[in-house]
Amino acid sequence: MVETKKNEFRKRDFFYLVPLWLISLMAPDPYLYHKKGFKKKDLFYLGVLVLAPLIWSDSHFHHLMVLAGIYATLALGLSLFMGYAGQISLGHAAFFGIGAYTTAILTTRYAIPTFLAFWASALSAAVIASLIGRSILKLKGYFLALATLGFGEIFLVIVRESTDFTGGVIGIFGIPWFSVMGFSFDTYLRQYYLTWGVLMGLFIFSKNLVRSKVGRSLLAVAASEDAASSVGINVPWIKLESFVLGAAFSGLAGSLFACVMSTANPEAFSLGFTVLIVMMVILGGMGNLYGPIAGAILLTWVMDILSKYQEYSLPIYGVILILLLVFFPDGIGTRFNVRLIYLIGYWAKKKKRDEGKL
Amino acid sequence: MSFLSIERITKGYDGIRALDGVSLGLEKGSIKGLIGPNGAGKSTLFHLISGVEKPDSGKIYFKEREITSMKSHEISALGIGRTFQTLQIWGNMTVVENIMAGMNRRLKGGLFSCGLWLPWIRRSEKEALKEAKEILDSLGLLGKWESMASQLPYGKQKLLELGRALAMKPDLLLLDEPASGLTSTEMQQLSKQISQIGQEGVTIFIVEHHMGMVMEIADEIAVLHNGKLIAEGTPDGVRRNPEVIEAYLKSKKTDA
Amino acid sequence: MDSWLYYFPQLLSSGITIGAIYALVGLGFVTISRASQIINFAQGEFVMLGGVITFFLLNGVKLPYPLAALIAIMIVILIGFMMHVLVIYPLRKASILILMMATLGASIFLSSTNGLIFGTLPKTLPPFSGEHPFQIGEIPILPQNLWVLLSTFILLIVLYLLSHRTLLGKAMEASSTDPLGADLLGISRNLMVFLAFGVSAGVGAIAGILITPLFFTNYSSGTLLGLKGFIAAVLGGWGKNSGAILGGFVLGIVESLSLAFIPSGYKDAVAFVILLLILYFRPKGILGSPYIDSRRW
Repeated sequence: MVETKKNEFRKRDFFYLVPLWLISLMAPDPYLYHKKGFKKKDLFYLGVLVLAPLIWSDSHFHHLMVLAGIYATLALGLSLFMGYAGQISLGHAAFFGIGAYTTAILTTRYAIPTFLAFWASALSAAVIASLIGRSILKLKGYFLALATLGFGEIFLVIVRESTDFTGGVIGIFGIPWFSVMGFSFDTYLRQYYLTWGVLMGLFIFSKNLVRSKVGRSLLAVAASEDAASSVGINVPWIKLESFVLGAAFSGLAGSLFACVMSTANPEAFSLGFTVLIVMMVILGGMGNLYGPIAGAILLTWVMDILSKYQEYSLPIYGVILILLLVFFPDGIGTRFNVRLIYLIGYWAKKKKRDEGKL
Repeated sequence: MSFLSIERITKGYDGIRALDGVSLGLEKGSIKGLIGPNGAGKSTLFHLISGVEKPDSGKIYFKEREITSMKSHEISALGIGRTFQTLQIWGNMTVVENIMAGMNRRLKGGLFSCGLWLPWIRRSEKEALKEAKEILDSLGLLGKWESMASQLPYGKQKLLELGRALAMKPDLLLLDEPASGLTSTEMQQLSKQISQIGQEGVTIFIVEHHMGMVMEIADEIAVLHNGKLIAEGTPDGVRRNPEVIEAYLKSKKTDA
Repeated sequence: MDSWLYYFPQLLSSGITIGAIYALVGLGFVTISRASQIINFAQGEFVMLGGVITFFLLNGVKLPYPLAALIAIMIVILIGFMMHVLVIYPLRKASILILMMATLGASIFLSSTNGLIFGTLPKTLPPFSGEHPFQIGEIPILPQNLWVLLSTFILLIVLYLLSHRTLLGKAMEASSTDPLGADLLGISRNLMVFLAFGVSAGVGAIAGILITPLFFTNYSSGTLLGLKGFIAAVLGGWGKNSGAILGGFVLGIVESLSLAFIPSGYKDAVAFVILLLILYFRPKGILGSPYIDSRRW
């Protein structure tokens, strides 16, 4: 009896501790994060990503990871604006929605192939971002956050009300699967490789940006705008660039979302969604690119677990948000915090084991 | 015409006249000091020159172009670098990145060429790194090139800010109280550095409270008091100017 | 054009009423923000909780109306205190982004728990003094509208007296104007923020009780109401009580009158359009704001 109990605990330990170990690998060592080139551990991650869905062939896992990949793309774009350029946006969900609706409308009404609609979504999101960015980005702090929030809400209301154009509250149905040259991404497994492939491409692009002069300009603007202009950095332009770039990423994510879910409706882009993606960026830790991806995976996983609790899910979600912010305001990714989780987890398991033995 | 020319600049904040009809000029290749009791409007003048603020009236010319209404980064791009009284280094980057960011204007590449890491970007980065390290070396900061800028001691951070301004290869350098908070040894080193920079052909405009340093390195000195220019001339001449002496004594009285 | 004039008086009166509510919600924001520079996104939830808890005490526990209202207000004040202790105090050194997100989290928690405990159906309360509208000229006015205005007015006077005539009020003022100085005098900033949360919660609850007889309260309408209250405060001049009040009424009236021109579904967008316009053209707000340095915007 005691033997099997011991084994049970061992297996469960493994299940908890492996993801934690993975997270700890991802965690940027706070003293070396300025080494911004590609490192060997990136290959490791790539390997994990490519092999993971083949090892865990559970379809639910695949579905979750597809969503995580889409949210990660969103979070990655947002982190360029918030984590690197140091601004705040509570309205990027709107660009996600613009992307989704662009793809939805183009594919269902004008029979444009999804591959083209994909790029059109990025373009439309970027164009709208550049239009409102010029005026909004003059604001700072709370007021920027509010203005972006306001924009997000206006977008939502417009979408809900213009029933002819956007299908109103019901949304648009029947978006075809994403397909390139006849190859159609119709299973979760294929969609997994699609979304994570897109994410990898965008990740490489972002990493290159960050370690080049553009990345330095972003960080300079975040730390001191006056000093940045004194060396000739065009501060309003940089802010606009990162805003539009984040919007473009969101547009791409939205397009993928539409193709994966086959529908586009306004409820997916509400304030709650914005809160979720901003949390992903914060939890990952501002100022690094692995963070938002880790944050996206973590929160998607958390949301999935919460959905099992039905009507208690939202209150618990609120509490979890607050707890995460109180305990990890710099993100979960700092080594210290991860080791802390590790230790707490281990200690909790140990306690259980002792009680079990009794 | 002068290299830098300021004509009848007036600037007020909420009823207080920070600068009142100030006119002065700088010759190319010279080192000019700007002194005056606290609150005389010195930093304000720098903010106006570098474009961070706009004057209420008056004009500023640099290299014979009017820069009064130009945007701050455009003015910097013309060749004006500066340091700040409140020390604005970028603590979220490493020391060498601070310098490299200072070179931004001179580096090629836009959003897409950097994102795709085109071959010439790679070369450009390598060269930039080399040059940045050289600048750090000349300032004695090379040993810490990889540490975060926020971890440097205050004196070295001030040097870093100077290095960053130099990285831009400016023609005019505005130094706003570069010696504040420095020990006397650090100040001596700074003096030497500034003189050397001046010898390399950079025009320097320096605001400083430490009389000794300013008198030593400046070719010419201007004195501001209550927003007005009350004296301009050689260090010796200014030192003996009765108005200047009175201004400092007066402010000493009000300080007490 | 004919119909516009016909509806004008009614729209105006409902606009003034809802404007009073926006004013009260805005006041709640300003109170907390003056003490601590925090924007409390859960402000709207205090309003909703006020109405819903009163409903529960009235119909579920069968308490008399005034007692139910009073106890509900006290419960909401308690919730405000708890929010400070559990959420704001631990984060007192965090960045504004983190604090904003934390109050959003609290807002999510409060609204969903509200729905969970008290159900998701909209609640209503009986009007204070009868349902018969009476006529002022051509305009039918419900007695409740007058109660709202009267109570808002009384509340404003009370708050004014509190902040300018009592020692506690002066301490709060001092703490917001010059935290370091107040600290040196022994005024604990954390205590001031704690009290500010209580006051905001109370004001919010009262607003909720006032508004429920006219418009239903529901677990989910808090967020939007909170945002509009915030917009009202910015509109009128951020950081000033008088700004919040003026902004509230202006917002309420403009929003209400806009119904004559645009489809009703877009009503909520009006507030946000006003927000964007104000932030872009005059971030100081109508009355000007001591907190915003328009030089650098």
